[in-house]
Amino acid sequence: MSDVRTLTILAIAVAGAGLACAPFVLNDYQVNLVIEVMVFGVFAIGLNFLVGYTGLVSLGHAMFLGIGGYGFGIFTVLLDWPWWAAIPATIVCSAAISFLIGIVCIRSSGVGFFIMTLAFSELMYGLAFKTKLVGGDDGMSGISRPDISFLGLDIYNPETLYGFMFIAFAIVLFVSWRVIRSPFGMVLVGIRENEKRMRALGYRTQWYKLAVFTLSGTISSFGGVLLVIKTGFMSPETLSWMMSGEGLLMVIVGGAGTLLGPVIGAAAYVLLRAGLTGITDHWVLFLGSFFVLTVVFFRGGLVGLASGVMAWVRR
Amino acid sequence: MLIQILNAVQLSMLIFLLAVGLTFIFGIMRVINLAHGALYSLGAYLGVVVVDVTGSFLLALIVAPLLVAVVGGLLQIFAIGPLTARGRNELEIALLTFGLMYISIGVLETLFGKDYLSIALPNAMAGSVDVFGVSYPIYRLFIIAVGLLTALCISLFIERTIVGAAVRACVDNKPMSESLGMNTDWVLAGVFAVGSGLAALGGVIMAPVLSVFPHMGSSVLILSLIVVVIGGMGSLKGSFYGSLIVGLTDTLTQSYLPQLTMFAVYIILVLVMLTRPHGLFGRPAHSL
Repeated sequence: MSDVRTLTILAIAVAGAGLACAPFVLNDYQVNLVIEVMVFGVFAIGLNFLVGYTGLVSLGHAMFLGIGGYGFGIFTVLLDWPWWAAIPATIVCSAAISFLIGIVCIRSSGVGFFIMTLAFSELMYGLAFKTKLVGGDDGMSGISRPDISFLGLDIYNPETLYGFMFIAFAIVLFVSWRVIRSPFGMVLVGIRENEKRMRALGYRTQWYKLAVFTLSGTISSFGGVLLVIKTGFMSPETLSWMMSGEGLLMVIVGGAGTLLGPVIGAAAYVLLRAGLTGITDHWVLFLGSFFVLTVVFFRGGLVGLASGVMAWVRR
Repeated sequence: MLIQILNAVQLSMLIFLLAVGLTFIFGIMRVINLAHGALYSLGAYLGVVVVDVTGSFLLALIVAPLLVAVVGGLLQIFAIGPLTARGRNELEIALLTFGLMYISIGVLETLFGKDYLSIALPNAMAGSVDVFGVSYPIYRLFIIAVGLLTALCISLFIERTIVGAAVRACVDNKPMSESLGMNTDWVLAGVFAVGSGLAALGGVIMAPVLSVFPHMGSSVLILSLIVVVIGGMGSLKGSFYGSLIVGLTDTLTQSYLPQLTMFAVYIILVLVMLTRPHGLFGRPAHSL
């Protein structure tokens, strides 16, 4: 057991070091792709709390990308707040909205939950589409990146943006790791495995589900903030249920219920999309095939595949 | 006002054609078939092809649903059935059908392009008639008639025939039906086929009124999913009244409260979920 632990720590250290020096080795296009992986990684980590750890599959998580992205846009552009106030304010608002949506959604489970989250995301899509104040169907543009010139850095420089994203990503990863290792995280897994038994043990599972819904929504919204910081633009299409499906694909391809699975899934997604959109415009065809292949062949996702191979090697 | 109500009923009938298949598939398998919207689009495209080749709309109305029914049956027999037997849970199956939806959109885009297609109205139904003093297109009345007729046939079939009784038994308690010697695989394949055929019928019948494009199934699918939840999963009555509620709400808000258009249906959904979590006509699932 202990050598597995050392191996894991070593792997994480190597990956961390690799990520930290990435901007010095890669060209601007590649740096941009890695930034995208981190942004969607945060989104998928949030979704994984519901899908992977608690066993509640949401088909509406793109709404949180929208809540975070539009939230940051509204605070900085419409209200003219500085970025260091806008980010915490967006996080607090996202948490509040996630909590309210969660109150309704957690009343159902399984397929009902699936459809309720889809309905809420369509509702949010409609809201973004219709509200002229945030650009309506044209989307909201001109959202500037955080001004960190007091550090003598220019955020519009790809390496600097990379550094900013890296820090944000590392914070999310650390927080998620702490939550998963905490008793709270254990209760979530318990709910996934057998909710009735958890209730019989005296846990008020509804409160746990509401808490994890709020946490998941907040983290994914933070992904939305990062996304809008990267692109400077928010369109209602970001909230479409296609995006929610792509989020699910990241979680499942990477490996639901593991800490790094969603990040690996996000990497696979970003790289595949970048590679495929270059050679074909039938991205949806491939996207669909990945879903089918994942369900039919590897249920544990890439992480499941890797640990299966490792178990086989050790035997 | 009367025209709006007729339009609403017409939309309701379309939604019903999809929702009825969804609700029975869900009722028996606890599986949400997200590819149902794709079967609807597939029906519409097949309709376009048949009209192009033969010039007969009536033929399209018969051939397209039959072909799609075969597709739906095969989907259950060769994909969903075996995977469920190998222990994939309901959500994994939902994701599978989600993938199938994307694949079908991709295939339709490759074969027909992203352009909007359409079917010309058959001459016999091109005109309008007077309905209580307002002039209303014959074709839209035809859609309403087809919807009501389908509802009647299905309800008679389910309530009065032995096969219908088998379907009801499967919805009520699938393991018990199996242990009584019923071949539930066949019941399921049949339900899948009929449900898919009805979705395709919806697609063909709407092709002269709406445009035909690869993503056409998505918005109708979402409305039908909402109907299934509002009506109660697995309930025929629920899917009929649910369709009327959703269709009326959607159409009437569009004409009288346009600022509420994209929200009203969801507000109803949330209200129903808060007061009756199992839907208006649904019952809590059997726990074994």
